[in-house]
Amino acid sequence: MTLRADHVAGSAFVVFGIAIIALSGDLPVGKLSMPGSGFLPIIVAAMTIVFGAALLLRSRESQPFSAIDWSDGKHAAAVTLITAVATGLYIYLGFIVTMAAMMIALLILIERRRPLYAAVYSFAVVLTTFAAFEYLLKTPLPPSPLSN
Amino acid sequence: MEVTLLNLMHGFSVAFQLDNLWYAFLGCLVGTLVGVLPGIGPLSGISILLPVTFGLNATQAVIMLAGIYYGSQYGGSTTSILMRIPGEASSVMTCIDGNAMARKGRAGSALCIAAVGSFIAGTFGVIMLTIVAPPLATIALRFGPPEYTALLILGLVFLAYMSSTSLVRTLLMACVGLMLGMIGIDNMTGHFRYSFDLVELGDGIGIVPVAVGLFGLGEILSTPSHKVTGEVISPKYRELLPNRQEWKESAWPIARGSVLGFIIGIIPGSAHVISSFLSYALERRVSKHPEEFGKGAVAGVAGPESANNAASTGAFVPMLALGIPTGPITAVLIGALMIHGVSVGPQLVNDHPDVFWGFVASMYVGNLMLLLLNLPLVGLFVSVLRIPYAYLYPLIIMFCIIGVYEVNHSVVDVWIMLIMGVVGYALRKFSFDPAPLVLGLVIAPIFEQSLRQSLIMSNGNYLIFFSRPISAALIAICIILLAMSAMTYMLKRKDWRDKLAEAEAGEPSA
Repeated sequence: MTLRADHVAGSAFVVFGIAIIALSGDLPVGKLSMPGSGFLPIIVAAMTIVFGAALLLRSRESQPFSAIDWSDGKHAAAVTLITAVATGLYIYLGFIVTMAAMMIALLILIERRRPLYAAVYSFAVVLTTFAAFEYLLKTPLPPSPLSN
Repeated sequence: MEVTLLNLMHGFSVAFQLDNLWYAFLGCLVGTLVGVLPGIGPLSGISILLPVTFGLNATQAVIMLAGIYYGSQYGGSTTSILMRIPGEASSVMTCIDGNAMARKGRAGSALCIAAVGSFIAGTFGVIMLTIVAPPLATIALRFGPPEYTALLILGLVFLAYMSSTSLVRTLLMACVGLMLGMIGIDNMTGHFRYSFDLVELGDGIGIVPVAVGLFGLGEILSTPSHKVTGEVISPKYRELLPNRQEWKESAWPIARGSVLGFIIGIIPGSAHVISSFLSYALERRVSKHPEEFGKGAVAGVAGPESANNAASTGAFVPMLALGIPTGPITAVLIGALMIHGVSVGPQLVNDHPDVFWGFVASMYVGNLMLLLLNLPLVGLFVSVLRIPYAYLYPLIIMFCIIGVYEVNHSVVDVWIMLIMGVVGYALRKFSFDPAPLVLGLVIAPIFEQSLRQSLIMSNGNYLIFFSRPISAALIAICIILLAMSAMTYMLKRKDWRDKLAEAEAGEPSA
């Protein structure tokens, strides 16, 4: 049997629905005349399982899993990783340092741009944005530790 | 009618205040840029700029954010015509004939027809909004929990029916959205649900991190820079005015697109995307020269561009009159008004006339601004389009982080955005449309509350939804739509939704 895209997607939704029901164990379902906080989550989780199963049953209509184009996967993984590191550092290093470092990393490591151009562009953009938010829009961004 | 006109005059007195004019202009300008730039849509644009509105009053905030929405519909056509890349999802159909016109040396005409069509349709939409929304709000005051429950179910079913992906896929996405919407404290009992001891999740998952993650970051993850071509056709200023024949050919398509777009805009779903496709299909059907479509037909630009602008205005009718979002964008706008202490619903017209009528009047002004802005500044937009995508997407990621973080000053929201970006990337790979997920997330609290209140009212009797005329009628429409969808599936018929899916995938069917 060929593994198809909807085999994977349908199974994922069935597992998701089962996980929700398992996590809802301590929530009171209540009665129809007085529904509790677990009432709708259980119904929606059950519907997710039913629709996931429907997807599994109709999986012949979907393309083979191996036919999905993952050529952009490397780009996606690298962007996700760099953005995740920036997110982790955002409140510790502040807006200017973190965002400039993130943009430089994206431009040099993924886009293979010249380091000098990447640095000049990144700092120019980040400093302009910081000034615009701080002074024009009066919306403060996380400050840099250097400013304390 | 007299009362409506008096109220509208009051709205104009609000809209013509200098600061409100400034925010309308700012919204229109940013919206046009958002529409012009590929990879960043109105939803991301509005979400990113939401924190900027915190220092404004509710009227200024909604005027600016709505300006971004309808401004992006104008801007999207520029990228479609000059680059054959839809700057915004609803401009997919404009790519076909708009770019073909540009390649024939008629780029200026195509841009002008798109701008004038957008202006006429946008203004028509606002006139209809002015006429329809207040009486609809009066009727909606009679709605109780069963009617709201039925209306929200109808919204989800309609979205599923209209979607270019399958019914099952759309409903699955809506279920996931509803699940995400139930995270946090239960308003009726105070129970913590699925918050995993994270205080930040007590208030639930916000619309902004989910929407920016799915639509903004998700799009960037699936678009490596080498896949974005940078060829831009630059129009000459003296060629901006269409000739007499082109004006003649665009008149009826603009009229038809305006009416069709407004009607579809009222219906929940990605109305502006669907409306442009249906308008294109309609124009090809009524044309005496259907063979010209795809080769630079004026009607292929005028119709869809008018339709998507009228639809974006039509989408405000259920939002303003009923407090119900027709899609993720109106959902974020409702969220923005709630942040400013304005609850959207039938009572909005009476409780906050400045916000309601000021907003409606500002849209008349905004549409005029966009017409004046789009053509003279076309050179600027061409320059923006020439910025290499490799330099553009790091900038967009930075704005995504700013936009999400600034709403609650919570880094947990940024993590949620990142996770949603990866989820959005995976959903695209498996051919799921993330829009119903956001709609599910938005309506989850209202839906849960109205469903539980209905059941409490009826002592647990589900027949309450069938015993009240309005809710019974709405449920009946749901059943008809589901039956129609099932019939299409069983008969294996290829209808307009399949053709829309093909067009979105870049392979317009004949």
